[in-house]
Amino acid sequence: MKETNTKLEKAVRLITQRGLNGLIIYSGGVFNILSPSYLHYFAEVRPMGLHNAAVVSRTGEVVLLVEPPWDVHRVSAKSWIREVRGTSDFVKDLVAVLRKWKISGPVGVAGSKEMTEGVSSAIKKETDPQMADEIIEEMAREKTEREIEIIRKVARIADVGSDAFVNGARVGVREYELVAELEFAMRSAGADDIFILMASGKHNNEMHEPTDRRLQEGDVIIGEITPAYEGQFIQLCRTVFLGEPSPILYEKYDILTRALDASFKAMKAGASASVITRTMNEVIGEAGYAKYCQPPYMRSRGHGFAVGSIAPGGELTDKMQVNLERHQVVAVHPNQYLPETGYLACGESVLVTDEGVERLAKSDTRLYVKRG
Amino acid sequence: MDTMQPTLKSGRYAWDRINMPVEEFQERVKKIRKAMKKEGIGLLLLYGNGFNDYGNYSYISNTITRLPQGSMVAVPLKGDATLMFEGAARGASSVKKMTWIDDIRASGNVSRECIAYLKEKQLTSCVIGGVGLKRLMPSYQYQALMESLPGRKIVDADQLLNELRMVKSRAEILQIERAARIVSRVLDFVTATPFVGPAENVLEAVARREARLEGAEDFRMMILKPAEKNGAFRPPEERPIGSGDRIIIYLAVAFERYWAEAARTFTFGDGSFRENLPDRVKTVYESILKGMKIGKRASQLYRDAMGKIARTGFEEISGYGMGQGIGLSLKELPLIAREDRTLLAERMCLSLRLGIRDKELGMAMTGETICLSKAGPVVLTR
Repeated sequence: MKETNTKLEKAVRLITQRGLNGLIIYSGGVFNILSPSYLHYFAEVRPMGLHNAAVVSRTGEVVLLVEPPWDVHRVSAKSWIREVRGTSDFVKDLVAVLRKWKISGPVGVAGSKEMTEGVSSAIKKETDPQMADEIIEEMAREKTEREIEIIRKVARIADVGSDAFVNGARVGVREYELVAELEFAMRSAGADDIFILMASGKHNNEMHEPTDRRLQEGDVIIGEITPAYEGQFIQLCRTVFLGEPSPILYEKYDILTRALDASFKAMKAGASASVITRTMNEVIGEAGYAKYCQPPYMRSRGHGFAVGSIAPGGELTDKMQVNLERHQVVAVHPNQYLPETGYLACGESVLVTDEGVERLAKSDTRLYVKRG
Repeated sequence: MDTMQPTLKSGRYAWDRINMPVEEFQERVKKIRKAMKKEGIGLLLLYGNGFNDYGNYSYISNTITRLPQGSMVAVPLKGDATLMFEGAARGASSVKKMTWIDDIRASGNVSRECIAYLKEKQLTSCVIGGVGLKRLMPSYQYQALMESLPGRKIVDADQLLNELRMVKSRAEILQIERAARIVSRVLDFVTATPFVGPAENVLEAVARREARLEGAEDFRMMILKPAEKNGAFRPPEERPIGSGDRIIIYLAVAFERYWAEAARTFTFGDGSFRENLPDRVKTVYESILKGMKIGKRASQLYRDAMGKIARTGFEEISGYGMGQGIGLSLKELPLIAREDRTLLAERMCLSLRLGIRDKELGMAMTGETICLSKAGPVVLTR
């Protein structure tokens, strides 16, 4: 309860500082790895319906409106917000709250990019909406003990997923069957959602959704294993080879693990975030692959997760101007297409500390080989 | 019924062209163009977003976006259809494998891409029909699109597509049957599997794996424990299921874009789940089902059903809806509801749920996916 009160206190302070008369935190019920839900973060419960919002007044009143109306019981049980209302006419009920609390003029809106026309135009009629995503981002910059605890739990689930991926990859299994086992393992371990992209073949070009393809001897199997729990994601990027790998595959994968390790050494709170990409590109470039350090041969060298992370949804680049901050969770992955091997996956998620980084997963990031 | 959307569709993503041939989509384009002509529409923009509302564009393209983002198909009266999706350009090769449309455009913002498309194609004078634009497109994208079309006539064409989607083709019905078979198998698997001290999330993981191994593209499960205070459907959590617990499971599965759903009431005991629907509830359900007749209005079906429930003395668990059309979405038209006067027609696929509360029997629910045929309603999920 202490932590949740802090959220409300922080929100009210930031509303006042910005000269706003209130704050609307909206969600369209989507849980996207690329665009974290501000409402999920604020209310500490994942919304389900098409329209949901928390309304905070300047004086510290707060109400949470959720669709569908019957979801009110689940949301009430999980959220720290005491006044939760189920609604079957979201726009009408939202407007009623704004009018009752006399919230008009400049009002902050977080999550406005998810709003459909009907919701947005209703808010515009009642207020002068100002985009306020940064209010929630600022609130989330300082991680709480609860959040760190959740992050560690998701990391344990990711390890379970990594083991299932390596163990489940065998000749004859279809891609979607492998993912089924992976999901089973991580859901049983507590994941409430899972993001998995993968590929299999002698020479992969990208990762995608699981297909009907059967794994074969000599396949390189790559996967981005990303469980989620309570709004936090952790990502591990794994490569498995079925059979006896060629020396060249070991050699090339070693370039990626060296790039990963070098980037970890360069990371710490206060360091420029661009150091991650620069360090990786240096290692891969020195190995003779400088021209492959750009799309379409790679996508990004990493990214943040969830609200308050670095570049949430965006990608780490060598040109970014921001610094790493304590307790940010960053997925770092020199995933790379190389002409000799195809696309290889290599990466993990770390917690940024004052001294460096803490590797959150226990499983190794290496080339996994399944013989026989 | 509303369910929690996943962050990614992690199941089998494939296009079996025998199940769903290219000609099926070309036939749909023909029908759409005929309807466009009738309405005086020169260009139709079919927009969808996320993993619950992809039906508008998927009806023509067969695709779903990788992440819960927007996609749009543009169908002019003459010329090729164009698919615009939100995602990286490198994803276009994967998209190409899933669609018959040649003109595929990746973008970070589908509205911006659409504006560029309209300029490029010089579609300056025709009336534009929008499907899903106002209801589903993010406002900032919608505004940008409207501002780029000053003075243009834009009409809401949701109804045009809804009419077509309500009545299924033979190929669509077969896809829904495949999804329904997975639902049925998973529910049978749950009752056939021994569990030791199961938690809700483990039950869900077991059911999900079974569905995935059968080829499920998407999987949604909600549970309701009548013994809980304010018992209502919710996603499974890390909570134990005890001996003697009654648990209502709502299960929905998508196979190659098409959905089926069912609801069952179970009791857990002696290490297994046993279906436990009181006979009186079963009888009412069967009676309502018999009343699903071609030519009857959806509203009449609803009123008849409510009358039958009232005569038993049961209280209907309201809020979840009695059912609706099902296909490329779990929530299509028609609705089995007081206000929907749609005439039920042959080849419509609908969900039909009956949830009741009774002093003696407690809370129970049953539900199936149904296809309407000349011979009567066909249950697909048993």
